[in-house]
Amino acid sequence: MAIFVFDKIKIAGMACAIPKNVIRPDDFKEKFGEEEVEKFKQMTGITESRRTDLHQTAGDLCFSAAEYLLKEKGIDKSTIGALVMGTQSPDYRKPSTSFIIHKRMGLSEETAVFDINLGCSSVLYGIQVVASMMMSSNISKALLVSGDTGSKLTNQSDKSKVMLGGEAGVALLLEKTEEESKITSLVRSNGEGYRYLITPAGGYRNMNPPREEVMCKDGIKRTLYDPFMMGTSVFTFTVFDVPKAMKDFFKETGTGVDDYDCFAFHQANLYILKQIGKKMKIPAEKMPLTLPTYGNTSGASPIVTLCDTYGKCKENKDLNVLMSAFGIGLSWGVTSFHINTADILPVIEDDSWFEEGLINSPAEL
Amino acid sequence: MTNEEKIAMLEDVLELDGGTLKPETELSSIEEYDSMAKLSLIVMMDDEFGKKLTGEQIFKFKTVKDILDFME
Repeated sequence: MAIFVFDKIKIAGMACAIPKNVIRPDDFKEKFGEEEVEKFKQMTGITESRRTDLHQTAGDLCFSAAEYLLKEKGIDKSTIGALVMGTQSPDYRKPSTSFIIHKRMGLSEETAVFDINLGCSSVLYGIQVVASMMMSSNISKALLVSGDTGSKLTNQSDKSKVMLGGEAGVALLLEKTEEESKITSLVRSNGEGYRYLITPAGGYRNMNPPREEVMCKDGIKRTLYDPFMMGTSVFTFTVFDVPKAMKDFFKETGTGVDDYDCFAFHQANLYILKQIGKKMKIPAEKMPLTLPTYGNTSGASPIVTLCDTYGKCKENKDLNVLMSAFGIGLSWGVTSFHINTADILPVIEDDSWFEEGLINSPAEL
Repeated sequence: MTNEEKIAMLEDVLELDGGTLKPETELSSIEEYDSMAKLSLIVMMDDEFGKKLTGEQIFKFKTVKDILDFME
């Protein structure tokens, strides 16, 4: 079992940035019909979400969140030893988006910088990767950012996806500490499910096939360039494998549901979260849901949820958090950590984007 | 569990009136057998039969009888 324990490392802060533009499933009633939209809202719990404009990227949102976090925490940028971004919505084919953020933030050359190509599990894996790097190095502070703008690729006629995705960028500060602080992490993967969530064309396997719309088994038309989700298979995975990972995590760590103050889960959809909550006997008040106002924000969603729930909390309360994230890959896991509510910043809105980064002609280079 | 009891459970999941389904009923003819119903079916198989119903298996179901056979 891949289980990791990081002693004397803590999550010293977290922040979240969202775009201002609000999208509502109700806006799609004319396109998909009243009944379909109401059914969608009932299953997913989504009543609105945020979307970036044409040129704003996940990298822009992550940059905003990271800048805000370091400013609020009063951190000297030269002390950041690593910057890692989890995303599947990069600014460019290459280089990795984390380098754009590195430049914009003015971080030091003495910084380890790279992207992790993961979706819904990116923060969970990111914590494991960054904490592992810190444990075996002299890095005392590191930034992990995550965000996706999956809606930009979605076929606008795909009722299973177009109303689901929300967009956000999050930033976490990991720090070595002398306090009693521990991060525990369990990660799992199953490549057998690579087709359950997939965008088949545009990669190096099938780069330029025709953009012809074809009727799929679920009755929705798509091209090979459109993100596809095999809903029933993803559902089976989440309601079986995720609770199992959680039970294994409890067994391995000698803990149980009662030991945690907050269950910060990937906000996949309401029906999935209800099933997981029911199976694990998690009291509803310990499992915050932010699907109604943010939609499914991919890897960022557990942090969006913590920032939305505790960002405005006035007391300095120590929280024992159990985070679980699951999705594309298939990839999933469970992580526990302590965080003080004073270190969880409120969600900010930001539509700014890196205009210098928009290259309109190769002659500009 | 008898076939009648299984059919009653299935009608419950699909929110259909009792007596609507027959073993030979084609699933494609049931309007209520939509994506949401399939998720409810996965949950029912787990809760009531402790069985893991996959998306691939659901695609193979053609008639009510196929589902009944899985409810063992």
